[in-house]
Amino acid sequence: MNKSRDLSITGSFSANINLTITEKSGSMRNRVISMTSKSYPDGLEKRFIRFIEPADIRGTSMLVFDNKNIADEMWIYLPALKKTRRIVTSEKGKSFMSSEFSNADMASPSVSDFIHRHLDNSGANNLWIIESTPVNEVKADEYGYSKKISYVSTKNNQVQKMEYYNFDNDLFKVIEIKSIFPLTDGKFMVKDMVASNLATSRKSQILFTNINEGIKIEDSYFTVQNLER
Amino acid sequence: MVFMFHLELIFNVMTDFIYKYRWIIIILCLLTGAVSLLVIPKTKVDPEMRNYIPQSIESRIETDKIESEFGVQDLVIIMFTDDNIFQTNNLNQIKAIDKSISIISGVSSRISPFTVKSISSAEGMMTVDPLIKGIPADTTELKHLGKSILENRFARGIVVSSDLTTASITATINNSVAEKTTLHEIDSVINSNPGGTKITKGGLPYIRQSILKDVSKDGVILIPVSLIIMIVILKLNLRSWRNVIMPFSVVVLTTAFSIALIPLLGWKISIITLLVPVILIAVANNYGIYLVARFQELGKLHPGTPKKELIRTLMKSLNMPILFSGLTTVAGVLGLLTHSIIPARQVGLLAAAGVSVALLMSLFLIPALILVSGAGLISKKGTGDKKSLIEKILSRLSGLIINYPGRILLVSAVVILFLSSGIILLKINTNQENYFSRKHPIRQASAIINSKFGGSQSISVMIKGDIKDPEIMRRIDILTLGIEQEKGVGNVFSISQVMREMSKAIYTSNEQGYNTIPDTREAIAQMFELYNMSGSPDDFKQLTDLDNTRAHILIRMSEPENDIINSVKSKISELTSNFPAEVSVGGYALIMADFAQSIIKGQISSLLFAIITVFLLLSLIFRSFKGGLIGSIPLIASIMILFGIMGYSGIALDAATALLSSIMIGVGVDFTIQYIWCFNIQITSGLSYPEATVSSMKTIGRSIIINAFSVMAGFSALIFSGFTSIRFFGYLVIISIGSCLIGALVIIPAFLMKYKPGFIGFETENKKFRKNEKESTIVGVTTAAFTSSSATA
Repeated sequence: MNKSRDLSITGSFSANINLTITEKSGSMRNRVISMTSKSYPDGLEKRFIRFIEPADIRGTSMLVFDNKNIADEMWIYLPALKKTRRIVTSEKGKSFMSSEFSNADMASPSVSDFIHRHLDNSGANNLWIIESTPVNEVKADEYGYSKKISYVSTKNNQVQKMEYYNFDNDLFKVIEIKSIFPLTDGKFMVKDMVASNLATSRKSQILFTNINEGIKIEDSYFTVQNLER
Repeated sequence: MVFMFHLELIFNVMTDFIYKYRWIIIILCLLTGAVSLLVIPKTKVDPEMRNYIPQSIESRIETDKIESEFGVQDLVIIMFTDDNIFQTNNLNQIKAIDKSISIISGVSSRISPFTVKSISSAEGMMTVDPLIKGIPADTTELKHLGKSILENRFARGIVVSSDLTTASITATINNSVAEKTTLHEIDSVINSNPGGTKITKGGLPYIRQSILKDVSKDGVILIPVSLIIMIVILKLNLRSWRNVIMPFSVVVLTTAFSIALIPLLGWKISIITLLVPVILIAVANNYGIYLVARFQELGKLHPGTPKKELIRTLMKSLNMPILFSGLTTVAGVLGLLTHSIIPARQVGLLAAAGVSVALLMSLFLIPALILVSGAGLISKKGTGDKKSLIEKILSRLSGLIINYPGRILLVSAVVILFLSSGIILLKINTNQENYFSRKHPIRQASAIINSKFGGSQSISVMIKGDIKDPEIMRRIDILTLGIEQEKGVGNVFSISQVMREMSKAIYTSNEQGYNTIPDTREAIAQMFELYNMSGSPDDFKQLTDLDNTRAHILIRMSEPENDIINSVKSKISELTSNFPAEVSVGGYALIMADFAQSIIKGQISSLLFAIITVFLLLSLIFRSFKGGLIGSIPLIASIMILFGIMGYSGIALDAATALLSSIMIGVGVDFTIQYIWCFNIQITSGLSYPEATVSSMKTIGRSIIINAFSVMAGFSALIFSGFTSIRFFGYLVIISIGSCLIGALVIIPAFLMKYKPGFIGFETENKKFRKNEKESTIVGVTTAAFTSSSATA
């Protein structure tokens, strides 16, 4: 899991994200956002998000500090109200923009929050099958699941699929990595992934486009003042 | 004469047919019973009251429409009560149960102290966090938590009662898993997490579960009890067990046949369908008793005559009043077919089919059984000359009627007027909770839900349009605020409330936008987005859909009484007139209000149908419209008294009691027909009015009393029902038959005595038969012609 995580940690990048949520009934909701992200050696990840579509939320901006050991910090600017508000939440299992993805799914995984072990048949069919269990109940509550099973390629250590189990040990969510974007340093970032909620039959897809890797971003970019520009 | 000839011919043919095919008749009847018994286990119970009213009714259409968008709004409410619910061990228990319930696949969403969010704002920082982040261990923190819950509008009275004694988990269940399984899983979760709180479970799914259990339990109790009562009555009337078995077999076969019709017609048993077997057991034995007793009497009159000839004479003695008695019973219960309540129609058809089959089986099966049975059917015991108590009472009564008919009519009119004046107090109640006694766990749970958690029954308003449009959102807000002020409304949940709470978190209390609805589409859209970033999308999935084209306002009723529901419905109509979007109003509470309207309409239509049909039948029997009218008097008086007593005693018209009047007409009219018919025979035989009154009272009066008491005894089994409504039905049907009895033996005799109406003196086929037979005195003739009881009791 460490190898896989190291491969997915990127320095800085910017991209457009197309988020599509599809209800069981077939009704859909689309969001197009631009995101700029920067990772720090201590595990901190800063993200700057600006909404592009739909029109009525265009200009809405978010600043997220994804802290590893303390609660995440989030600021949001609402242009129609001309107000910035800081949102505090400790729940990593909370939904990312109303989608099936959680905030934790959007960040690089924190390996130390889990106990990992290989399951039977791990390694067969060129796939490691690894079970990750939260280290304690507090972490389990924070992430919102009892265990995760990851299917990782033995060839390139890339995660292909993750299965999430609820506290009754029933499978409730599956994330499939449809495609990845290879970075120049040999690492990769996920380009297209689909999360399926088995309880609600709702699906969410995140598609990264216009990916710019390794860009240099000043720390001053990730400030509340910049949100309101 | 031609008519008489035809009747004689028919009865001769019938006798020969029965004699020839007696074994086939017996085998066919037994086969019918056996097939019925095989089919009965396939019968299913339908505990869903919304299925009582047709799908075409507006509230059902609208509710289905809303539920297709926002899911079924049936709530399971689990309540935890202690002197102070804010104790560490109590909260741990609730948390453990809440967590386990959250993963039950039949549960779509839930609201509990651990799901409620706290949206707060301070120094430019908005916090959306669980209301209870961690369970405090010390008393001070627990008190602080209690205080913050009381200040949270999404928690107080929703997940924790205002007096901090009760906490609740409200779960919305879905159709993906059988309701039974979901409730079983919830019960298992509760049982495996014991603690210091008293746990009460309520809500419509639990009400339905209790109905399912209690209907089955009632079936197991009511049918055997009424059968035992009937055996006792038959034994008292017919003395020997061999005689008892014949009408009893008709009762059992008829009842089995009617119950078997339920699955065969694709129907399910509802609470009120439980009445069918009891009605049949109480009524179906009459014809059988008559035939067996009449056969006994003929046997005594003609000792040594072969059975076949006795049967032939028995068939001839089947007179018109007996056939009309069957017809009026069928007409009365068929009146229920005009009812708009679906199970009421089913009861009408099943009871009518059952009574018809009972009549047919009595005519064919009982003679066949007599033919194949050995000797000993005819009792050797005489009736004795000792005057019974009934005879003494009737003798005194006829004296009073002869001497004071005017005063009796006056007193009767005053009593009827007094008792019927209670009609103005008559209420209609369709609240399912009231089916259970006050001590029933479901009723106790409902009382807590209604008093502390805003009510378990709800009205839903769905707005279809651009929910982000500020004009639409403003109108939703006006509607929400208006409904919140209405009497009987517990909690209202609406997206406009979320908007207001969000505005409180965004603006400070001295800013313009604080606690208001934003005035631009963009501002609303961005506030939605703000919540999406901070809360869970499931937090208000019950309030608006994903693309914000539909909003749902959920109104929980703390007083789910029909008049209050209708008043809230009117307020909704007022507040949604000229609404800038499509509005649908539905919900279980509204369906129940429509159900009440159906009961009123059904009551009127079935009453009219039954009264008109019975009037026409009576006019035909007495060959006079005046006779039909006079014969209807006791019936109309009894209906008025019934509704009056219901009004005075506070027993409401509901799905079960709404059937009373039709069944009462069906059963009670017989007494009047029998009395007038008998009285007429006495008059046409040359007796004076006073003599005819004494004679009729002595003969038919006694039989009518015995008949009425046997029917009342049959219905008395209903007082053992687990459902309050069915028990009330039992009490009221006994009172109704009692009033029909008084009508037939007090009002009608006094009326005939006082006014001597012209239709009396009509020729009867029956009398002609009797004259031809020349076998007995007038007293004997009339006694034998009408009932069994005088010969046997």
